[in-house]
Amino acid sequence: MNQERILDCTGLSMHFGGLAALSDLDLFVNRGEVLGLVGPNGSGKTTFFNVVSGIYRPTTGRVVFQGEDITGLSPQRIYHSGIVRTFQRSRLCLELTVFDNVMIGNHKRLDLGFWNNLVRRGRFLAQYEEGVERAGKLLAALNPALVARMFDPVGDLPMIDRRRIEICRALVGRPSLLFLDEPSAGMTHDETRQLMDEILNMGSYSEGLSIVLIEHEMNVIRRVTDRCVVLNFGRKLFEGSYDEVAADPVVQEAYLGKEVEEVE
Amino acid sequence: MDFGLLTQFAINGLMLGMMYALVAVGFTLFFGVLDVIVFSHGDVVMVGGFAGLTTFYWLDAIYPGLSHGLMLLWVALASMASMALLGIVMARTMILRLRSAPPLNTLLATMMLGTVLREAVRLFYPNGSNPKPFPALLPDWSLDMGHLSLRLDNLILFSLGALLIVSIHLLITRTRLGMAIRAVAQDAETARIMGVNFNAIVFLTFALGSAAAAFAGIMNGLYYNEINFGMGLLLGAIGFSAAVIGGLGNIYGAILGGFAFAFLQTLGAVALPFASAYKDVFAFGVVILIMAWRPTGFIAEKTSERV
Amino acid sequence: MPGSIQHNASVPGAVPNPGSAAKAGPLAGIVAAVAVTAYAAAFLLSESQGLILALLVGGAVAAGLAVRVGAHRAVARSLAAHGRLGDGLAVGMVLALMVIFHDDHYALFLVATILLYVVAVLGLNVQLGFTGLINFSCASFFGIGGYTAAMLGGHTGVPPLVILACGGVTAAVVGSILLLPVLRTSGHYSALVTMAFALLFKVFMEVNDAFGGPQGVDVAPMRLFGWDFSSDVEIGSYTGSFYLPYVLLALALAVGAFVLVRRIERSWIGLSLDAVRVDEVAGACFGIDIRRWKITAFTAGNFLAGVSGALYAMMLAYISPANFTFADSLIFLSILLLGGIGSSWGVVLATAVVVVVPEKFQVIQEYRFIIYSSLVLLMILFRPMGLLPRKVRAYRRQA
Ligand SMILES: Nc1ncnc2c1ncn2[C@@H]1O[C@H](COP(=O)(O)OP(=O)(O)OP(=O)(O)O)[C@@H](O)[C@H]1O
Ligand SMILES: [Mg+2]
Repeated sequence: MNQERILDCTGLSMHFGGLAALSDLDLFVNRGEVLGLVGPNGSGKTTFFNVVSGIYRPTTGRVVFQGEDITGLSPQRIYHSGIVRTFQRSRLCLELTVFDNVMIGNHKRLDLGFWNNLVRRGRFLAQYEEGVERAGKLLAALNPALVARMFDPVGDLPMIDRRRIEICRALVGRPSLLFLDEPSAGMTHDETRQLMDEILNMGSYSEGLSIVLIEHEMNVIRRVTDRCVVLNFGRKLFEGSYDEVAADPVVQEAYLGKEVEEVE
Repeated sequence: MDFGLLTQFAINGLMLGMMYALVAVGFTLFFGVLDVIVFSHGDVVMVGGFAGLTTFYWLDAIYPGLSHGLMLLWVALASMASMALLGIVMARTMILRLRSAPPLNTLLATMMLGTVLREAVRLFYPNGSNPKPFPALLPDWSLDMGHLSLRLDNLILFSLGALLIVSIHLLITRTRLGMAIRAVAQDAETARIMGVNFNAIVFLTFALGSAAAAFAGIMNGLYYNEINFGMGLLLGAIGFSAAVIGGLGNIYGAILGGFAFAFLQTLGAVALPFASAYKDVFAFGVVILIMAWRPTGFIAEKTSERV
Repeated sequence: MPGSIQHNASVPGAVPNPGSAAKAGPLAGIVAAVAVTAYAAAFLLSESQGLILALLVGGAVAAGLAVRVGAHRAVARSLAAHGRLGDGLAVGMVLALMVIFHDDHYALFLVATILLYVVAVLGLNVQLGFTGLINFSCASFFGIGGYTAAMLGGHTGVPPLVILACGGVTAAVVGSILLLPVLRTSGHYSALVTMAFALLFKVFMEVNDAFGGPQGVDVAPMRLFGWDFSSDVEIGSYTGSFYLPYVLLALALAVGAFVLVRRIERSWIGLSLDAVRVDEVAGACFGIDIRRWKITAFTAGNFLAGVSGALYAMMLAYISPANFTFADSLIFLSILLLGGIGSSWGVVLATAVVVVVPEKFQVIQEYRFIIYSSLVLLMILFRPMGLLPRKVRAYRRQA
């Protein structure tokens, strides 16, 4: 097990007033793996994403990404370093088009100069065509029907397509590390399954892309992840493969309980 | 500057502060329960003043010999009751509808409502475009010492204002109704599930805030001995400023903000004796600075956005 | 490598052209433009209040009918199919009005006022419509431009065209005082910042004798290539109102501002501004520099307000603090809301309505504020997207 660690967090704590949403968490992600992050409601999973992606500055601890200390950097800087996330409650811009939303994720590659945008329209439009093509390919990989709706407002689309667009928005900038926060929230069983297959597909498209997945559905965790970390009250309760996690009596007691039986 | 003059300034500042606090309390109450800024509130203060004046005319015509104390009581009651009603009507017909609209729409809509109120008074109140003398209903006894004059009417006004604010505060912190208001302010959805009648609470809050505004309007009339149709705009802006620099949604913040604004104006008048006309420039300038320094007011709103 | 995602994905069929429509002829657009020009001319020509009322009602009924039979869609298609047609027709309309009213001071003054207001409200549109920055002091920045023109024109020999630019720059620079609080606050708190500034500005101008105090100051007229804009135009036997060149210059400004704002919208800059407005947190997580875009939008908007304010002051020849009150800022804001937040054509339409109707319909003069505010109120309650709602972004003009 001598894999390269793409993300390495040590002693991470996040306090909100008196509440320790994360305490003294050590967590790493290997390059190319899918890590499942599980735990009961309020155990600090989303907070972990928020801290690593720069929305909150951790109370203590260090976040090292690809050998670089990114603790407490702004979300902008962290995005540029190659970490991208989705949100538990979808945060697409519903009034903007599918294309616009995807391009927001491609911000890194957009030329934002005034000269280029406002004066050299020819050059801008060439870049725009490039963007259309790129977004089109990515959307087609998730759902070909979305390509035809590229210039419709996202608000007109059903939930599952919005989730797909969020994933496109996250992937279009070619991140090295992708955080997915309950991508299947609010979906039916079948939809969840479909979406997960698509995500897995995406993962295999780009070897080297690492994914951290927060998911309550243990079936999905079993099928998708290489390794799991279980959180409880902001602490790491257990770490290992799904089977090990499922077999661990402490975890079962704290969290899994009945759900494991449902799986078998 | 001599002591008497300074004390005089301080007294004037306190009177203004009380008026502003009364207005700011309304802003903060409405924001608390509905998350909206009801900018027409300043004009409700003005309409409250006019309602009081009208009541006085009627009473004076029907019972010419009525004592000033009783007269004031009726003027205040009638004005506060009618503004409470106006508040409920506004909440019902407009504000509740705007709950899900973007904040700007609400702000603009209520500003427009304020303009409608202001213009309605100007156009339709008899001779409404001119300032109206407000009757002196309080004893004009005063203690004069050089530059300083301690006036009984000011003392009474101040005490009544304080009494009103304290009762609102007690109502909110000590009674079941107040608990319901606080529950709605904290989380309307949960409160509704817990069986709180949401609309009733909103109406109650608007009645309360508007009644306080009416009192501020009468206080304004008694203090300056006149009222005019345009006084609501500045009072509204000041009340809003006070509520915001104090920290929206917090009654203490509103009181603090009200007195802070009056203090700034007074300070502007004292510190710039040759240019006391700049006192409002100074006060609003400091408000801008305060916003740069404490972006959510002195007593910060307690909600932080969950991602 | 992550890049390989794209290469393995199956390439779908043709990517649709945004808003692609069956190719429509230019006729519908031209007919509509002529009709609107005729209507505007009739409106400006009418003196009798009864006639104006009839025109107002007739216009409303005609617009309603057009929407009923779907004519507005035909016009929209026609304009969409011929990219520059709409722009050309709009300019043509103004030129036609200039010819029709070449010696009518009042009508030309109204046309120029509309054009200058359009510039200011377009600036507000960048701030509020695109970026979501609430600005309650638009009229103050308009006034800063005006006072700059008064001071520079009265006391220096700066060429008037440069003065226009100075008006914009001064407004932008003064606005940057507000940047810190504007950047740090959000929502109602930032509304207060600009509101306080608007109140402060007016009082400041009133009490400050250097700027003329409450009585105001005279402003030197525009002068271009030795041509003084304050005297009537005489070319051979042809005479025209001295407002003609103002209309022309205002038109040039409006066209420039319009093109600028539309290019901003149809670019990655517009996309970034929208992202800032809709969701700052999500935007930041995708690398969008929130501060940079807020600063850009706020400054650009104030610049536009300042430039137009400078020319407006020159045209009025005399300004006072009463021209630039908080109530005027509210009017600018309501124009934006009436037209449709974010919609540049909406700005043009709403400005025309808001400027002209109360001026011509003198019967309501006394009641105009109450009528106007009631209308805006109803609009916010029942049609919050405005008269011409903003459309989704199409980066490319349909050829
Ligand atoms: N901004 C905040 N301010 C205060 N408390 C917060 C904040 N964000 C999260 N918390 C608290 O931190 C704890 C962890 O929350 P978090 O959202 O990380 O849980 P989670 O594991 O993602 O739960 P879920 O499965 O419900 O999404 C919770 O008790 C939550 O209330
Ligand atoms: Mg979560």
